[in-house]
Amino acid sequence: MKRVITLTVNGLSCEVAVEPRRTLAELLRYDLGLTGTKIGCSIGDCGACTVLIDGVPSLSCLVLAMEVEGRDILTIEGLADGLKLHPLQEAFVEVGAIQCGFCTPGMVLTALALLEDNPEPTEAEIRRALSGNLCRCTGYQKIVEAVKEGSRKIQLEKKS
Amino acid sequence: MILPRFDYYAPTGLDEALSWLAEHHGSGVKILGGGTDLLVDVRGKIIPDQHRPRCQEHRDGPWLARYAPTESIEILLALSRITELRGIAVEVNCVRIGAMTTITDLERSPVVRTRLAGLWDGARQLGSPLVRNRGTYGGNLCNARPAADTAIPTLALGGRLVLASIRGERTVDHSDFVTGPGETILEPDEILKEVVFDLANDPAMGSAYLKLSNRKALEIAVVSAAAMVTFNSPPAEQGGIKGGVTKSARIALGAVAPTPLLVPEAGEALVGKELDSQSISEAARIAAGVARPITDHRGGDEYRRMMVEVLVRRVLMSCWERALAGTVEEAA
Repeated sequence: MKRVITLTVNGLSCEVAVEPRRTLAELLRYDLGLTGTKIGCSIGDCGACTVLIDGVPSLSCLVLAMEVEGRDILTIEGLADGLKLHPLQEAFVEVGAIQCGFCTPGMVLTALALLEDNPEPTEAEIRRALSGNLCRCTGYQKIVEAVKEGSRKIQLEKKS
Repeated sequence: MILPRFDYYAPTGLDEALSWLAEHHGSGVKILGGGTDLLVDVRGKIIPDQHRPRCQEHRDGPWLARYAPTESIEILLALSRITELRGIAVEVNCVRIGAMTTITDLERSPVVRTRLAGLWDGARQLGSPLVRNRGTYGGNLCNARPAADTAIPTLALGGRLVLASIRGERTVDHSDFVTGPGETILEPDEILKEVVFDLANDPAMGSAYLKLSNRKALEIAVVSAAAMVTFNSPPAEQGGIKGGVTKSARIALGAVAPTPLLVPEAGEALVGKELDSQSISEAARIAAGVARPITDHRGGDEYRRMMVEVLVRRVLMSCWERALAGTVEEAA
């Protein structure tokens, strides 16, 4: 039987009727139409479904929608300000850290949470933080560079 | 592929959960911690043949293997809303870790890093950062896999588990908790509430956990080993020879038996002796002799037994180094 839950997604409060078996990834994609969150493996191995729950990168395929009642969710759609990309997204584009793009939303959100915690991470820290997000195009080098570049951009933006 | 249908109940207090469980326990009821194991197990799988385990008995068969879910669920009892189950409390002579404490919480806790360093090593190597953010300590213990990254150090550190039910609480050693792969002594109406570690006031102690695996993340140990060593006097570097008389030692192994394996013989062999290369090698040999690994796609039994010896040697060295330094660097 469906139950009604409320949660905040990208700053907007919403009320959704879901079955208990609905995962957060399914809720975002099928109930809210936010298809930026990708479902890759469905078993927590690939990280493509990563979203931030109260700022914490989480595998939305392994979180039941019921579990996020009252929580604050950030998906990739919530990052840009209108048509202006988030500095970290800009960095991914400029550095060429996007190939097929399937892992990108998860990569960007995991990296964003890292930079919140640790604004100037070392390469080892970046690689460790991203170790649960797989890129099947194997573009890891560029992704690491993009996170470094994103870190620089965010610092610059803060100063100005 | 959507999940099979089930119902969901999320109480906000432990008492509420226990009363509910006392009434409803039985087949089809499962306790949901972080969900990083359970929600994988409730999903059916279709696995192309080339990805199936490379064992003898799997060599033939259809090109696509369909696996039914390994867990069938009617209702989930979710513990995520019970705030009293999450957190690390430091008391005068013990540390209490709530069952719903996430693996990331363990990894970031200063007291876990300094006083329960082996557990810190385990937490840092479990799954991936994303798994650790949701996965819980209690879940990792109750899932009871023989290679569980927090279970092996918990065993070596002498963790005691507090099991709660409407009938009251009981405390059991981790060494008595797991009875087989995925099986524990938890009664159907019981919930793991917390894990307690005594903080002994020894002059020096060190603990560590090492995991042999093919990659650094999202990996299950081929073999793993944890140890805790306490010394009668602080160890010292004596002309390159390891020194310090061992007061007590506990050595635990992962992925070499149906359950996490405590090897008391190996620990006892060190008691009253200088922790030097000779005593360390002796303990490692004993541990390797007790290990009874199987051959599967992660490694052969002979290889695993040899690696037990290497890992136990290294993990004891790491205990010694940490006891000497009084600080904790990542075990190598």
